[in-house]
Amino acid sequence: MEQALTKLRNMDLQRSVIYFGFLAIFLFFAFTLHDDGFLTSRNLTNIVLQTAPATIMAIGLVFALSAGEIDLSFGSIVAVSALSAAVAMQSGPMILGVAAGLGAGILIGAFNGLLVAYLRLPSFLVTLATMGLFAGIARSMTDLRSIPVINETFTGIFGSGRLFGVPSLVIWTIVAVIVGHIIYRNTRFGAHVLAVGDSARAAQVSGIKVPRVRLMVLTLCGATAGLAGLLYAGRIQAAKYTMGESDLMTVIAAVIVGGTALNGGKGSIIGALLGSLMMGMLNNGLILMGLQVSDQMIVRGLIILLAVAISLREIRR
Amino acid sequence: MTYLTSTLAASALIALSTSLSAETIGPGGESATPSSSVVVSDDQVAAVQAAGYSAALLWHDQSDFVNAVTAGASDEFARLGIEVVAVTSAGFDAAKQRSDIETAMAKSPNIILSLPLDPVTSAAAFEEAKEAGVALSFLSNLPADYQHPDDYAAIVTDDLFQMGKQAADALAAAMGNEGTVGWIYHDAAYYVTNQRDKAFKTTIESDYPNISIVAEQGISDPARAEEIANAMLLKNPDLGGVYVTWAGPAEGVLAALRANGNSSTKIVTLDLSEPIALDMVRGGNVAAIVADEAYELGRAMAASAVLDLLGEDVPPFIVAPALAVTADTVVEGWKKSLNIDAPASLSSN
Repeated sequence: MEQALTKLRNMDLQRSVIYFGFLAIFLFFAFTLHDDGFLTSRNLTNIVLQTAPATIMAIGLVFALSAGEIDLSFGSIVAVSALSAAVAMQSGPMILGVAAGLGAGILIGAFNGLLVAYLRLPSFLVTLATMGLFAGIARSMTDLRSIPVINETFTGIFGSGRLFGVPSLVIWTIVAVIVGHIIYRNTRFGAHVLAVGDSARAAQVSGIKVPRVRLMVLTLCGATAGLAGLLYAGRIQAAKYTMGESDLMTVIAAVIVGGTALNGGKGSIIGALLGSLMMGMLNNGLILMGLQVSDQMIVRGLIILLAVAISLREIRR
Repeated sequence: MTYLTSTLAASALIALSTSLSAETIGPGGESATPSSSVVVSDDQVAAVQAAGYSAALLWHDQSDFVNAVTAGASDEFARLGIEVVAVTSAGFDAAKQRSDIETAMAKSPNIILSLPLDPVTSAAAFEEAKEAGVALSFLSNLPADYQHPDDYAAIVTDDLFQMGKQAADALAAAMGNEGTVGWIYHDAAYYVTNQRDKAFKTTIESDYPNISIVAEQGISDPARAEEIANAMLLKNPDLGGVYVTWAGPAEGVLAALRANGNSSTKIVTLDLSEPIALDMVRGGNVAAIVADEAYELGRAMAASAVLDLLGEDVPPFIVAPALAVTADTVVEGWKKSLNIDAPASLSSN
């Protein structure tokens, strides 16, 4: 008993918060909304589908925050990526659309990264500026018009398709989380990211190429935002300049609640996944509860505030 | 710009027809049916109540306008014994709108009222609800390739032509039916504003021979309204009136007139705004505001969906009347349009 208590005390509370929080919210909705369809497989699948793009963006952001950087531009990257893919597929094959969408994300991410890594500009300011820059470019790309995506192979792979009965967005989420987790926890690059976030100077002294790590994490952020843009385009079967605009706060909250430190050196891909699912579960449950829109926003804001406060408190310990 | 913000999102709106006729017309050129003729009769109420229907209100955003539409729909549903099981706001986000639809479908509503954010992005979003046989009543916008009556019950919108015409009539009356006018129109491809703006211009040109439009200026950013008005006044210092496409930029035009010490040029604009209305009741430049009847839009949306469930023939394109509000009618007009009391600043003046 004594041993168990000691073990419990020694648990990494920071990482545990998201598990307890996720479970608590799930159980709350499961009990209060069991007659309202919350626990149906369709509804639970919907939550995963709806959060897939945010989860994938969150993976990129975990890397950036862990290295002590931040990317505020990923919402704009989503729009540019989705529009690039949609425009490319109007006259070209699916592969061209995918290349255009992902390529746009990687290029913008690399652009952010070069400015941060080699001109030593703060990532907060760089990505704040490029957020506006690429939001403007997204608007001008098609004169505010929405572009339909009618390539059924694309919408199947990136949106509404299934493989062995599993929705493609679920597969994308699982693959991205597994790959992200392995890179983050089990590779030299992941270790370098954490080392740079913990102390850039110490990392530099120990031979880590800090600018290269910074360039890589912001490029990765762009790549995940690009992939999220493809998933949005596949799911909505269209692309529009507003895509991704509202994801910034949701994704940052998901990552922080999931146990990633704002000032670098600590993070969790699994935590980000649970944080993202928690955000989706909150949106879903509060709607099913029949709350008015204003009440939904208030309750969601309070719960996120509480979760972030608890997470940050544990991170500081 | 309550209604405008809501409808601006609907980029290519309903009437994909862009030509202007002397009335508001629907997507396939359908003639408009007045909302007053779309009614669930007392004889039908018992059947509706017995059916135990439920409804979801899946809006595009939050505003006074949306609140008034919601109130109109909710009151009609309450009269008919229909439970509202979900109310959402997509915040102009197409992906969120799709998620909201999926989430609401978990409660299996028989009716969905919504403003599709965009014909292109909304087509896939409403597919599941359409396939499930949900009665869809759309506000002002239509997903691409949706056919009436198989895919949706009705589109309900404002009488856009009447809004522009009534603005012209009100400005002409304030100018004594003569003088020169500046026309500040919305410089973007948005059906709602384009129809209203053109209706104003057509009415002035055809019905008021002693009034001439001497200055035309498009606006896409409301923040630039003041500088546009200043330039217009510089070139045309004797302007008798200015039409402004909606209330947001009208506030900038009003600021320009005040800064120039101009108390004679009259303004007419569309959609209710407290600062604009306050100038009007204080006898300032603003002569009239033309609004829509948002509460009636909500009631008509609810009624059209219910009639569809009952198997009745529902007109495909329904319009709610326009409402010209002057200083004398602002309190009543506010209530009639938005179903809320006019702000204290207006009722106390």
